[in-house]
Amino acid sequence: MDIIRIKNLNAGFPTKRGLVRAATSVDLTIREGECLGLIGESGCGKTVLGMTIMRLLQPNTIISGEIFYKGQNLLALKEEEMRKLRGKELGMILQNSTTSLNPVLSVGDQIAEGIILHEGLRKKEAREKATELLEKVQIKNAAVMSKRYPHEFSGGMRERAMIAIALACSPSFVIADEPTTGLDNRTMKGVISLLAEVAKSKSMLFITHDLAAASEICDTIAVMYAGEIVEWGDVDEVFSAPLHPYTSGLLNSLPERGFIAIPGSSPSLIDLPGGCRFKERCACSEERCARAHPLMKEISSSHKVRCHRYD
Amino acid sequence: MSKKNLAMSVSIAIFAIYLLIALFAPLLTPYDPFIIAGGIYEEPSPEHLLGTNDLAQDIFSQLIYGTRATLLLGFTGAILSVSIGTAIGIVSGYYGGRVDEFITRTLDIVMTIPTFPLLLVMMMFFTPGIYVTGILMGLLGSARGVRVIRSQVLSIAQMNFITGVKVMGASDLYVMAKHVLPNLLSLVTVQFVFSAQHFMVMGIGLGFLGLGDSNVIDWGQMIDRAYQNGGVINGLWWWLIPPGMAVTFLSLSLALFGYSMEDEINPRMKLTRI
Repeated sequence: MDIIRIKNLNAGFPTKRGLVRAATSVDLTIREGECLGLIGESGCGKTVLGMTIMRLLQPNTIISGEIFYKGQNLLALKEEEMRKLRGKELGMILQNSTTSLNPVLSVGDQIAEGIILHEGLRKKEAREKATELLEKVQIKNAAVMSKRYPHEFSGGMRERAMIAIALACSPSFVIADEPTTGLDNRTMKGVISLLAEVAKSKSMLFITHDLAAASEICDTIAVMYAGEIVEWGDVDEVFSAPLHPYTSGLLNSLPERGFIAIPGSSPSLIDLPGGCRFKERCACSEERCARAHPLMKEISSSHKVRCHRYD
Repeated sequence: MSKKNLAMSVSIAIFAIYLLIALFAPLLTPYDPFIIAGGIYEEPSPEHLLGTNDLAQDIFSQLIYGTRATLLLGFTGAILSVSIGTAIGIVSGYYGGRVDEFITRTLDIVMTIPTFPLLLVMMMFFTPGIYVTGILMGLLGSARGVRVIRSQVLSIAQMNFITGVKVMGASDLYVMAKHVLPNLLSLVTVQFVFSAQHFMVMGIGLGFLGLGDSNVIDWGQMIDRAYQNGGVINGLWWWLIPPGMAVTFLSLSLALFGYSMEDEINPRMKLTRI
């Protein structure tokens, strides 16, 4: 059973310089219990995809396509109905935990907020539940810490608090947007193992550019480049036998694989090139790459790629 | 204690004295301020600390009672204007776009209308009363605070944690009340103090112009009376100077408090003073 099914999703921001096409014809599905890792360079549209699912992009964003959550199209819902799903059914762990917590409210109160909003508990009961949640995300002294303010938390603890907020109303689908960015190695490992624990019991979209974390947590991987999905498949297949040159490039840029950077930089999302969007940086680009835009091709039932080499 | 803390403590102390005087006015006054307490135009004496006026009312008792009217006027105006200003400022800054554009433009027009003359004209249409005056001042003065609040909300609305609350499924109203407003609290306090000061002085001005509530005594009306009924010509300083001094010190204490609060919440201002 699919919990999330994205069909031909396009998202664009109108600006003075032109339309920024942050997502182009994205097709993805996430099965019940699956954790999909969305990887790609900064600015390729990963976060936009997550925010589109939550329907929290700025109101002037041009969105087309369909996003089905358990069969209902999120993009067709009224704002009010969507609000009932946010937090309750769809949880999200935001990027950058330092600024994602309100500095003037205690952490416990911020976790309790969602519980009060959705489950109608009283403040006291919600606070107790918040403390339990802090315990669940392995914060020591949870009862004391829930009364503390965000600036009294370390980076790793703040990240854990963010996870607790996202899990407060036990949503069935969680989006984690680069939850490990900005943490040191050891703290990061702790957060990753916590997320892996979460991923066991929930369906998840894990947005990251940390490939190691993705391989640890995710069941499937989707690689995004310049607003489109270029490769999508089982985590082991994608990482051990990448099909798209961009995926190979990402893997080769890892320190343990030689630290080889992909030459050039990704194209501007306002002025996207015709043909294959990766051709300028691709080592094996051919004449037809400039001519025709490659389509998503199914190589096996668990592996798809958007590249002319497999036509 | 640093200089700034000293300023704050002194201002709080002065204001506290005014507040106590206003609260315990009946206990502190030897006479009812409205009754004939002796002869007319009496000089200061142990019976009448500041003498009596042309109606033989005790000036000292009037001065004490006047504190009530002035504080009441200032706070009614400040509560109203700051609530309205904050609400409009939050809505404008939070929604942005067309809503913001509309509010800001309207405000630009409203700001070009001079408040005090408009207030004078509007007072003609209402029965003069202390609350009516306070409410009118509050309504007309609310435009002052909107810009400051709005600009602060603009930056708060862009912060990540606002998205965080929306992710939890909160409505806009909830976000504004629970997350934007608490982040504005110090700014709102400063606004409140300065508005209160402004409206107190304005209220005294109105009293002096003969637009005060004739059922209460305020310092403006006292000064007005002193002008109209021979206090100035005859050099009866004890009639004129005390209400003037009372206004000055009250206004000074609020201004001092406001500035030291402002210093406290604005780290950039703090740096320049070191």
